[in-house]
Amino acid sequence: MLVTWAYKPRNTLIQRLDPRARLIFTACAMLAVILVWDLRWLLAWLAFALLTYRAARLTWKETRRFWLVVLPLITFLVLITALTGRGGEEAYQTTHPLFTLAIGPWRWVISVEQVVFAAAQFARMLTLATLGLLIPFTIHPAHYGVAFRGLGLNDKFAVATDLAFRLVPSVARDFQTTLDAQRARGYELERKGAGLIRQIRNLAPLIVPVTIQAILNGEDIIDAMDLRAFGAKPRRTWLVELRYRPADYALIALGLLVLGGTLAAKAAGYGAFWVPPALLGG
Amino acid sequence: MADAALEVQRLAFRYRQSSRPALREASFRVPRGALVLVAGASGSGKTTLLRILNGLIPHAYRGHLQGSLRILGRDPTGVPLAQRSQWVGTVLQDPERQIIGAYVRNDVAFGLENLAVPRAEMRRRVDAVLQALDIAHLRDRETYALSGGEKQKVAVAGTLVMEPEVLLLDEPLANLDPAGVDEALALVRRLVAAGKTVLLIEHRVEEVLRINPDLVLFLEDGAQRYFGPVEGFLQVAHPQEVKLPAGVAVRRLRALGLLGEPPPRRARQPEAEPLVALERVSFGYTEARPVLRGISAAIYPGDVIAVLGPNGAGKTTLVRHLIGLAKPWQGRVLVQGRDTRDASVAQMARTVGFVFQNPRHMLFAPTVWEEFAFGPRNLDFPEARVQANVERSLRIVDLEAYAQTSPLALSFGQQRRAAIGAVLSMEPSVLVLDEPTAGQDYRHYIAFMDAIVQMPFAAIVFITHDLDLAVRYANRVWLVHQGQIIADGPPEEVLTQDALLEKCHLRPTSLLRLNRRWLPRVGRFLTLEEWARRPDVSLADLEASLSVEPP
Repeated sequence: MLVTWAYKPRNTLIQRLDPRARLIFTACAMLAVILVWDLRWLLAWLAFALLTYRAARLTWKETRRFWLVVLPLITFLVLITALTGRGGEEAYQTTHPLFTLAIGPWRWVISVEQVVFAAAQFARMLTLATLGLLIPFTIHPAHYGVAFRGLGLNDKFAVATDLAFRLVPSVARDFQTTLDAQRARGYELERKGAGLIRQIRNLAPLIVPVTIQAILNGEDIIDAMDLRAFGAKPRRTWLVELRYRPADYALIALGLLVLGGTLAAKAAGYGAFWVPPALLGG
Repeated sequence: MADAALEVQRLAFRYRQSSRPALREASFRVPRGALVLVAGASGSGKTTLLRILNGLIPHAYRGHLQGSLRILGRDPTGVPLAQRSQWVGTVLQDPERQIIGAYVRNDVAFGLENLAVPRAEMRRRVDAVLQALDIAHLRDRETYALSGGEKQKVAVAGTLVMEPEVLLLDEPLANLDPAGVDEALALVRRLVAAGKTVLLIEHRVEEVLRINPDLVLFLEDGAQRYFGPVEGFLQVAHPQEVKLPAGVAVRRLRALGLLGEPPPRRARQPEAEPLVALERVSFGYTEARPVLRGISAAIYPGDVIAVLGPNGAGKTTLVRHLIGLAKPWQGRVLVQGRDTRDASVAQMARTVGFVFQNPRHMLFAPTVWEEFAFGPRNLDFPEARVQANVERSLRIVDLEAYAQTSPLALSFGQQRRAAIGAVLSMEPSVLVLDEPTAGQDYRHYIAFMDAIVQMPFAAIVFITHDLDLAVRYANRVWLVHQGQIIADGPPEEVLTQDALLEKCHLRPTSLLRLNRRWLPRVGRFLTLEEWARRPDVSLADLEASLSVEPP
């Protein structure tokens, strides 16, 4: 099976919280993380994110596929930034050479700032990935629509969210069928020695049928929604009932407080790029 | 008249973008609580009529609508679709495209949510309808993971929960296995018993006749050919267009003098080298649940194999092994002596052609010609051979006139032929078809299969739920049950064993019953046309042989 939902019901504190409160808090937390470059703060955030991950009782087996994509990606991005020296230019002006990296005929002078910046960037990206990962793994797929509705988005958008959850597996299945049908005609996804343009052209046998199917299915689905009175009333009701409890209010307050606090700290000059003085001493 | 569920007078409709009317004239009156079978070939106007009744015409489809319609004694003109959906509920053909919710209870509640029904009442009604359809256990399941039969029931629940008095069911049997068909028919009967008026649009006439519809509406080419009790319909319907019970069909074929020859049966060559050999093949998608369990079988030149068995028995997984789309955990599959594990699917495709059920899953090229050339080019055939093969395939599937047309612009029937042609141009020896006739009308699928068995394939393997297809075309049957082939032999041997059929939930059709009754005297199974040509079998004999229903 190509797509299985990440969500599994568990009786954890995180899953008992209201999805609206979770979404608000996560948005605040992510913003707060993006605002700072101070390694100490970022490490604190990372510790918090990993603790939440632990509290959600997610297993390596479930999340492995996610990490196998995300960890190499983060590492790659951090290394690229570190080696090209880009990205950190606004964060620091002066540099202190630490060592020289030699690969073959190439030489790179690596500075203390570059290393600390890379560490900060790594912590920051990992924190964001972890916080983001928690959402699909701990919010019930049937709760997004009503949660978005509760956050003030309109019915149409909220229903579309639910519909996306319903349709992604169908599209994935169509894709698999098409891939199999074309493979049975001697098609191979990767053609040896083909240039980029040919590689892209080579996707047509997959993309065209899947798109056509999606459009045809879409028309039927619109009919089906019409026949079940979609859009009949200015405001629809939702089977799923979300209810804020004190813990949810506390979570929202915490999110806003953290974000407000970070903004205030930034304004006062805190949270900027920081290099441990011990590293500069020598 | 207040007691009519539907009253239709001189109803006609032409789609805006079309020059000819899709429905030319229909006038009928359906009393409340009636079960009506709506029969007719593809393009006869069934879908258009359905859309007029449920209001999608003119709400979503523009065009020229004439005539009058009353639903439950009321004029629906100007009544919003939301209100209409509480008079007339519709279950579309493919439940996959009707289910909106990712979870069963959310999907069933969808219509009520839209009508802004208060939450407590909504919960009560959703639970009640799930109870009534015996699917309360599915309540918290993901709709995506349901079986075809379960999806259909969920789609019915989502419609019933809005409490319509009239129900329109569009080909509910199309994608079901025989056990699923029985359940769906029983459900329809219960709905009628509960007082609903049901219009059942269906190609599988023989199956629907089992539940004794009160009336039949028969459409032909956009016009109403017949409306009335079943008996009259059987006199009017064309035996080569509508699948009638075997006794009736033979009688009508004789009366009409339609004694044309069916395609000749192929001779098996079990002495030859096998084209494909399965040796103790076991396979599963997860370790916990094996799908195939130690299957051994071989395909020889001349074989036309019908693969029969209930849904979930492993039929599709089995045929996927023939071309290496699935590879065995244990045992091996040899395609012309070569282990599928040591070769790519592309290499296997030189021997085995695999055509999926829906041609739209594979057609993509700008022209039919390019579509046909795709396969042989992938196999690195020299360009001269590609050309020759494409021209030959175009001729065989009768699409020469469409060589420069986009395959997406073809009719569905032509697309299905294009899908076969695209595989044919790779010159495979074995053709594998997954449910080639599901959802097709009788005339089209007979023409399609008649053509295929005459194409130059050394062997043909097809999955089907239609026993008559096995009777008519196959010279060999594989009965698949719980991951094993529990019977492998000529149809005359396999399909005469009641215990085996019952085990696989296969219910003998009237044609099979007729053949079984006469097998000792005739020596082999005959097609309807062959029965019509047998002077030694009188009509009275035929009637007698069918009068006893199996248990």
